[in-house]
Amino acid sequence: MESLFVRYRNLVVLLVLLVAQMIGLATQVRHSAEGRNTLDPRDQSGVRLIRLWANAVVSPPEEAVHFARMGAIDLWQNYVDLQGVRQQNAELEKTIGRLRLEQAELLQDAEQGQRLQALLGFQEHYIYKTVAAQVYGSGGSAQSHVFYIDKGSADGLRRDMAVVTANGIVGKVRDVFPRSAQVLAINDQTSGAGVILATTRIRGILRGNANGQLEVVGVLADERIKPGEKVLTAGGDLIFPRGLPVGEVAKVVPDPERDAFIDIMVEPAAHLDRLDEVLVITSMEPRFSQQEKQDEATSEALEGAQAAAIEQQQKAAQINAERLPNLIVPNLPPEQQPINESSNPAPMAQPPQPLHPDVFSPPAGTMETGAPAVDEEGRPIAPAAPKKSTPPAVGAAAPRSQPKSSKQRRNP
Amino acid sequence: MSVLGANLRRDLEIHRYPVLVYALVPVASLVLQAWLPRVLGRYAWVDLPLVVTVYFALGRRSPIQGTIMGAVIGLFEDALSQRAIGVNGIAKTVVGFLAASVGIRIDVENHLIRLFLNFLLSLLSSAICIFIYRVLLGLQYDWQWFTELFIAIGNSVVAIILFPLLDRLQMRE
Repeated sequence: MESLFVRYRNLVVLLVLLVAQMIGLATQVRHSAEGRNTLDPRDQSGVRLIRLWANAVVSPPEEAVHFARMGAIDLWQNYVDLQGVRQQNAELEKTIGRLRLEQAELLQDAEQGQRLQALLGFQEHYIYKTVAAQVYGSGGSAQSHVFYIDKGSADGLRRDMAVVTANGIVGKVRDVFPRSAQVLAINDQTSGAGVILATTRIRGILRGNANGQLEVVGVLADERIKPGEKVLTAGGDLIFPRGLPVGEVAKVVPDPERDAFIDIMVEPAAHLDRLDEVLVITSMEPRFSQQEKQDEATSEALEGAQAAAIEQQQKAAQINAERLPNLIVPNLPPEQQPINESSNPAPMAQPPQPLHPDVFSPPAGTMETGAPAVDEEGRPIAPAAPKKSTPPAVGAAAPRSQPKSSKQRRNP
Repeated sequence: MSVLGANLRRDLEIHRYPVLVYALVPVASLVLQAWLPRVLGRYAWVDLPLVVTVYFALGRRSPIQGTIMGAVIGLFEDALSQRAIGVNGIAKTVVGFLAASVGIRIDVENHLIRLFLNFLLSLLSSAICIFIYRVLLGLQYDWQWFTELFIAIGNSVVAIILFPLLDRLQMRE
């Protein structure tokens, strides 16, 4: 028996190692309810320990290589680009000042929006806190689209936090170590994110294919989907906030497995192959930094000054209105206010008779409306007094120009 | 015949390296493997840990050492990815064993043989990985045959350059 073991010791060692690894593999696979095998997303303690060891061994030299490269690039770029930096800095400071005020106003709008949403019972997620991180390494395999960042649990990172750039989403935190974290890119086959097409509002699931390209799967064939349409996060996956850019539709291909469905190939907005700096969204709770609050206070103070100016203008207008005659008399009941007066205060009772009648003037008796009032001798009498006469109030204006006009008509 | 015998004996020499080389070269291969995709993007068609496994297995001519080194490097490679730990481990275990077994029998100093061996073993490694994913584990795993072919070609080319460089690290008696 011993000689057999010695004779075949190479094969025995090979078999032992293979069997041990196969057992290890078997413990990492789960049989889902749909009857499919899936990799356990949560690493067991043993598996996590191996990952931790590998990370501890490989990460330090990897970070050293990365930062040496970045340092060399920075040195070169800073040396070459120093010309005109002062002027650019002054311009940027002005821009920052203006943008801070604009941002403060936007924050107020956002707060108001949230309050309104809370009133409506509608929950929406906003990005309020991010951690900037440097990408220093990758998973190193063509089929594995993961990368490593230099921030970990010590910086507040947790599993399943969204990772984005200014251009668009990048991935989610898959594993967190004390000083580093592993990020699963959105173009990995095991990745998934809920997305929506910006124009057609069609929803689907974004994942990576074998070539590391992005595709939206599970979409019913629709002729409205055209290349160039923007793809945004849908916000339903509880990882990515809603409305973040994902990319653009590159082309639409039929789903090889299902007839009525299509796969939408997406050109990512972020450069997934060349990532240097990323942002990890650590909180979507409404928290504002001290600077933002200060900016907001400044903005409020400015708005207060504007409000005071408006109030002064209103006061001046009020004073002017008091000095001018108006149509409202404080002593009178509402129905007798001049503004409500509809009757003619001085109606023209009778047109005056001509002193020398001619053929062109109709006889007074034929006039129906405003028939002339004559006395017994046939002479015209003065017009009748108004039906309602209101005593002129102090400071009140006389009823509009009607009496004057009637007087003018009476005495042409 | 005597010349052939001398050559045969020379070929069957076991290459020995300082202990640090055994530790640093695999780590360096893992670091570079993790760093290269950041420079070359998805065109990083090379598997440096596999090349290093083949090199040490061929040089040491010990199936046990080749097997163990392949297993360790493969497990570390798995641990750095998000995939199941053990897939690359098994593939490189087999590759290490086969490379060492072949190294006993043929002249591995020949560039053409190195090129051919790396090409074949790279394809074998890819085949084992796909077999484990799709058959043993029953996982959904899409792959492209030309990507695996390019990786095999890339490994062969890198091996031609890297092997002479690593040969310089040998301990001379």
